[in-house]
Amino acid sequence: MKHVFWMSVFAALTAVVFGIAAKGTDRQRLIYGLKVFGEFLGIALLLGWILYFIPFR
Amino acid sequence: MVARRIEKEQKIETPRAAWLVGLAAWAIPGAGHFIQKRWLRGALAGGAVWIVFLTGLWLGGHLYAVSGGQQGFGALLQLLPMIANVGSGLPYVFCWIANIGFAEHAQIVTYEYGNTFLLVAGLLNYLVMLDAFDIAAGRKR
Repeated sequence: MKHVFWMSVFAALTAVVFGIAAKGTDRQRLIYGLKVFGEFLGIALLLGWILYFIPFR
Repeated sequence: MVARRIEKEQKIETPRAAWLVGLAAWAIPGAGHFIQKRWLRGALAGGAVWIVFLTGLWLGGHLYAVSGGQQGFGALLQLLPMIANVGSGLPYVFCWIANIGFAEHAQIVTYEYGNTFLLVAGLLNYLVMLDAFDIAAGRKR
């Protein structure tokens, strides 16, 4: 759970900066920031599950 | 003829103040926006960079520096992450002077998280710096 928490904190703070640095209206940038946050979490969870099924040992 | 005229018209000179804003934005995360009275933007962007940087240190992350002891490929391996770390501005310089965060604590569970946070803090501040510069140069609202 600790890993998911820090990953979410990372995704949220990075998404804030990405949203601010983006071009467009405030609404467009807010949507972009939320999209970035969702993409960070979604891709991380997807990769986590893919790696879970790959036997490394 | 027309193409040349358009090219001339498109060359907008960057005001000197924009460079100073860029420098301030690099030195203190958020300062570039505060100087231009973009309070909310500065608080959110600068605050995010500060939080990422301090959290990185708190998680036991490691700041990179090229020291005289390393040579060749070893020094090059330190150089790229150092460039990312230097993006944090004066917080990095302060840590360098006070020797905070330069020791490796690989035994800590969150060590890698801390490293990533510290690297990304610098990279995000480069982004915030460019945003402040663009606003000062009139390229962005």
